[in-house]
Amino acid sequence: MKKYKSTLFKAIAWLCGGFVISATLFVFGYILYHGALNITWNFVFDRPRGVPIGTQGGVFPAVTGTVLLGALSGLIAGVLGSITTVFLAFYCRNKYLGGIIRAAVYLLSGMSSILFGLVGYSILLNILGLPRSLLAAGITVAVMILPYITIRVIKLFEEDSAEVLHASLALGVSKTYMLRKLILPNYSINILTSITLGVAYGIGAAAPVMLTGAVLNAPTPQHVTHPFMSLSYHLLILVSEGISLTNAYASAFLLMIILLALNLICRGLEYFKKRGG
Amino acid sequence: MKDKAVLYLLASVSLITPAIFIVILVHVFYEAMPAATGLGMLLFDSEGIWRPFGQTPSFSILNIILTTVYVALLAVGIAAPIGGMAAIFLNYYTGRRTARITLAFVDLLAGVPSVIYGFIGLLVVVRNFERIFNMSAGESVLAAGVVLSVMLLPYIISTYSESIEKAKSKYDTASMALGISAEYSVLKVIIPITKRGAAAAVVSAFGRASSETIAVMMVIGNAPIFPRLLGRGQTISGLTALEISGAEVGSLHASAIYAANLIMMLTLSVILLTAYLLRRKLLSEYEKI
Repeated sequence: MKKYKSTLFKAIAWLCGGFVISATLFVFGYILYHGALNITWNFVFDRPRGVPIGTQGGVFPAVTGTVLLGALSGLIAGVLGSITTVFLAFYCRNKYLGGIIRAAVYLLSGMSSILFGLVGYSILLNILGLPRSLLAAGITVAVMILPYITIRVIKLFEEDSAEVLHASLALGVSKTYMLRKLILPNYSINILTSITLGVAYGIGAAAPVMLTGAVLNAPTPQHVTHPFMSLSYHLLILVSEGISLTNAYASAFLLMIILLALNLICRGLEYFKKRGG
Repeated sequence: MKDKAVLYLLASVSLITPAIFIVILVHVFYEAMPAATGLGMLLFDSEGIWRPFGQTPSFSILNIILTTVYVALLAVGIAAPIGGMAAIFLNYYTGRRTARITLAFVDLLAGVPSVIYGFIGLLVVVRNFERIFNMSAGESVLAAGVVLSVMLLPYIISTYSESIEKAKSKYDTASMALGISAEYSVLKVIIPITKRGAAAAVVSAFGRASSETIAVMMVIGNAPIFPRLLGRGQTISGLTALEISGAEVGSLHASAIYAANLIMMLTLSVILLTAYLLRRKLLSEYEKI
C-alpha cells in the first residue's frame, strides 16, 4: 500500500476519533456548564410560577412527578420483563412459543416512542376512559421500556442459564427451588440495574407522556389518576414555546444529573459484580 | 405439580409482550382504515399537500414520508462513516484503557434523552446555521440530520466496535506475523470481513433515525412541505406528536395520522427483521472462520 494512503487513513481515523470524543464531552459539558450557572436551590424546591407559567419559580413537582412515573413504570415493566426472561431462559421448551415472544420483544423495542404515546393516548384515554394521569403515562412508559428491560435481562441469562439449569436438573431439585435459591439471589442486582436503566430511559422520554398524562403545571400527584409534571416534558415545553432559557438550562441540568446518576450507579454496580465473580 | 402451575403462570405473563405488539398493530391498522378507504391513493398524492384544516382539507402524507426518509438517510450518512472510523480508531490507535474509558463515555451518551439533544441542537446547531448560512430561521432538514447523527454515534460505535474486536482477535496474530501495517490490515482484512456487521449496524441505525421523535421535532421546523436540505420539514413522528391531540377522534385527519404511523410501523418491522437476519447470518459465519 502507498505510504500516503496509509497516512491519510490514519489521519481520518484520528479525526473521527477526536470528533467523537469532543462531541461526547461537548454534550455533557454544555449542559453541565450552563446548568450549573443557572440552577439554584430555590429552582429545585419551588413550584413553577410566573406568567406564562414556568418563567419563574422551580420544578419541584416535576422532580417528584418524574420519580413517581419512574417508580410506577419500573414496577410494571420490571415485573413483566423479569418474568418473561425467566420463562424464556428456564421454562420455555417450545421453540415456536419462545420465538414468538422473542420476536415481539425485538420488534417492540424498535418502535418509535411516539407510537407508544399515540396508542396509549388512544386506547387508555379515548377508549378506556382513563384521565390524563400518572397511571396512563406510567402504563405507556412501562410498555415502552418493557422490551428494553427484557432484552438486557435475556443477555444476562444467555451466558450461563444452561449451566445452572443442567446442574439443577442433575441434582434433581425442582425448578421453583432453583429459581428461588439460585437465580434470584445470583441475578437480583443485575435484574435491578437493568430495570433501573430501563426507568432512566423511560423518564427521559417526553414523547410517551406528552399525550397521556404530563402537564405544564400540577402539584405532586396524590393519586395515580391525577395528572403530573415530568422533567423531560417540562424541558420540552420551556424550549419549544420559548418560555424561559434560564429555566430550560436548569431543568436540563437536573434531568441530566438524575439520569447520569442512575446510569453511573447501575453500570458501576454491574462492573463490580462482573469483576467480583 | 407446583412446577406445572408456575410454568403456566410464567407462560401467560410472558405472552403479554406479543399481545401488546398485536394490540398496537391491530389498533393502528383499524384506526388507519377510514383514511385508507376514504382517501386511498390521495394519501400519497404528489400534487396534494398536508392541509387538515383548510377550506378543502387535503391529507397527502407523501412529503412527510419523504422528509422522514431524507432526514434518516442524512443522519446515517453522516454518522456511519464517522462512527465506523471512530470504532477503528478506538481499536487500533489508542491504548486498551483509553478505548475502554472512551467507550464507556460514548455509552453514557446513549443514555442522554432526546429532549436534551433537541435542546442543544436548537441552541447550538440551529443558531449556528442561521449565522453560517444566513438563514432567517435555522430549523431545517440538515439541522435535524446533524443532531440525529450525533445521537446515532454511540450506537454505531459500540456495535461496530464489537464486530471489529471479534475479527481482530481472529486475525491480529496473523497480521503481525506477516508484518503488515495496521492500516493495511484494517483496509484489507478487517473492513471486508466486518462488512455484514457494518451493514446490520447501518440498517438498524436507519430504523432508529427514522423513528426518533422529540429531538427531530425540535429542530426541523415542522412544516409539511417537500424536503430540501436547508428547508423546513416534518417527520411522521413529529406530525403525530404535534397534531394527534388536536385531531378529532374518528376524523379523517386522525385516521391519516394513523395511516402514516402504520406505514412507519410496517417499515420499521421490515428494517428490524433485515438487521436481525444479517446479524444471525453473521453469527454462523463467525463460527466458520
